[in-house]
Amino acid sequence: MPTNKEQVAEEVTYLDAISQALAAEMERDESVFLMGEDVGQFGGAFKISKGFMERFGARRVVDTPIAENGFTGMAAGAAICGLRPVVEFQFADFISQAFDPIINVMARHHYRTGVPVPVTLRCPFGGRLRAGPTHSQSIESYFAHVPGLKIVAPATVEDAAGLLISSIRDNNPVLFLESKYLYRRLKVPAPLSLEPTPLGVAKVAREGTDVTLVSYSVGVQQGLEAAEVLAREGISVEVIDCRTLVPLDIDTIVKSVKKTSRAVVLHEAARRLGYGAEIASEIGEACFWFLDAPVTRIAALNTPIPTSPPLEDAVLPQTEEVIETLRKVARS
Amino acid sequence: MATTRKKTTGKSKSPAGGVTADRELCLKMFRTMALQRAVEDRMVTMYRQGEMLGSVYTGHWHEAIAVGTAAAIRQGDFLCPLHRDVGAHLWRGMPPWQIMASFLGKATGPTGGRDGTLHYGRPDLNIYNPCSHVPDNVPVATGGAFAFKYRGEDGLALCYFGDGATGNGGYHEAMNIAAVMSLPCIFICENNQFAYSTPLRLTTHADFYKKAAGYGMPGVKVDGTDAVAVYEATAEAARRARAGEGPTLIECVTMRMHGHAEHDPASYVPREMLAEWAKRDPVELFAARLQKLGHATEAEIAAIRENVRQEALAARKKALGDPMPVATNIEEGVYAD
Repeated sequence: MPTNKEQVAEEVTYLDAISQALAAEMERDESVFLMGEDVGQFGGAFKISKGFMERFGARRVVDTPIAENGFTGMAAGAAICGLRPVVEFQFADFISQAFDPIINVMARHHYRTGVPVPVTLRCPFGGRLRAGPTHSQSIESYFAHVPGLKIVAPATVEDAAGLLISSIRDNNPVLFLESKYLYRRLKVPAPLSLEPTPLGVAKVAREGTDVTLVSYSVGVQQGLEAAEVLAREGISVEVIDCRTLVPLDIDTIVKSVKKTSRAVVLHEAARRLGYGAEIASEIGEACFWFLDAPVTRIAALNTPIPTSPPLEDAVLPQTEEVIETLRKVARS
Repeated sequence: MATTRKKTTGKSKSPAGGVTADRELCLKMFRTMALQRAVEDRMVTMYRQGEMLGSVYTGHWHEAIAVGTAAAIRQGDFLCPLHRDVGAHLWRGMPPWQIMASFLGKATGPTGGRDGTLHYGRPDLNIYNPCSHVPDNVPVATGGAFAFKYRGEDGLALCYFGDGATGNGGYHEAMNIAAVMSLPCIFICENNQFAYSTPLRLTTHADFYKKAAGYGMPGVKVDGTDAVAVYEATAEAARRARAGEGPTLIECVTMRMHGHAEHDPASYVPREMLAEWAKRDPVELFAARLQKLGHATEAEIAAIRENVRQEALAARKKALGDPMPVATNIEEGVYAD
């Protein structure tokens, strides 16, 4: 598969979208800069910032030591002092080393002082790349519990760009969860619109009438595949793409579930206290009298994510499981 | 990249002949140190009278550090203090009653009661409001320093931390980053011999100032009870920072004369150690020096002491009389617009 942008100029990948959106924001606003491990001269582990060093210089494309706590705290200070840092975590998994500045400094600072902390925390996350227990994690639940943070998880190429632009322009700390799996697999014809997509607005990714599937990130793509298969069986699946987890557009979800009276929530994170538990609970409270079946979750097993393909596939939700669950709920 | 450095706001003096040649500056520093002492003594009394929300964290014997550093930088510089640094807040213009209001959970405190006790700051005075976790203000300070450098301004960030905070990895990461990026940052280590109950020998196996060499930055050790020494070391570090020469670590050696906070009788501190340090009261030492320099008479010193005592009493009265916050807007401000 070609990875060089010039070779695929007629197509834009999910990864290209992030790169283009980031570059556009850096062009637009002098206070936006990128920092992280290997982002400068190397162009980033996933090559999001390829060519940025030549374009923006070392002042705005800042290579950091391996020091997630230190450089995330530094980003907090820079934001408090008026800049708009975009922090790249090489893998979302590494963000555990930066919990403290995110939770105790960034997330609380505006509430305590009235001073905004506009930081975008870019996190390549999720599994299916055979990368194992400490390179495949879904981190959203760790942070969704913390007031003061926003969490964004695009499922499409267009949203990868539009939501990143909104995240950078937002005056709050935003966790931007990038699907490593979709980076080079998802593509659309060029050129890509670089207009902001508002945070907190879910999208009906596919209309349907029999059952609502609520998901985000890679789960939306899986849901669309499953919906296509089930359509041939006469089951009509409505797929809701949350786009942002915090704030969550619960109204769009509730409206859909009241229409279909059945809901399945899908994500790649572990089942126990995964973000699906929150969505299911909200649906249960808002739609109790509309439901014809229990709200059902599809999620990873409550295990670390193994490396070897047959093991990882056994832990993470597979499209076949999504199809079966939707079929069962739709027919119950 | 940008090499012209724009001037930040505020003045810092580097008087010819050193700080001691400037009578006005010396008297202002002394008054602020004495005010810190008076305010903290009053807050200890308020704690004992049961007026405070929680405990009171004092900076007895840290006055020369707080004031000596704050006086040697500009108002526009980014100041990241901790709980021993009341004098730095006062130097910048924080009124004593507002510090007390923070300890009382009042609506007029710097956070309006959303945070409280020792967690206060004033964005308009360029004072960062630290959280409980030490040394979280140290990486934040590097970010402030980064922002000045990024904008091509000659401002700097100055942060304080205790000997105990240096045990945390975030501290090392921040020091290393500041050195690697040559950030205009001044690191003030307030070595007061104890991290809560943990004595120095259980915190470090080397002198703090010597560790600076390991990061490739200058490390200096000063007598933390000597306001002049602290001022001069800070002024030199500030000169380096503004000239683009990078960060400096200054270890200021002093003693924590009270418990970690007022609830703590500090029975783990040897009494003879306290007795020895009691001879080196930074406020007394500076008062004697001012008289020796001919900057103030004994009567003038006494007048300043009485003046700050009255200010502390008035501050208590105002803070106690101020309203408590109302919870009507409690969900507002979790997010910025």
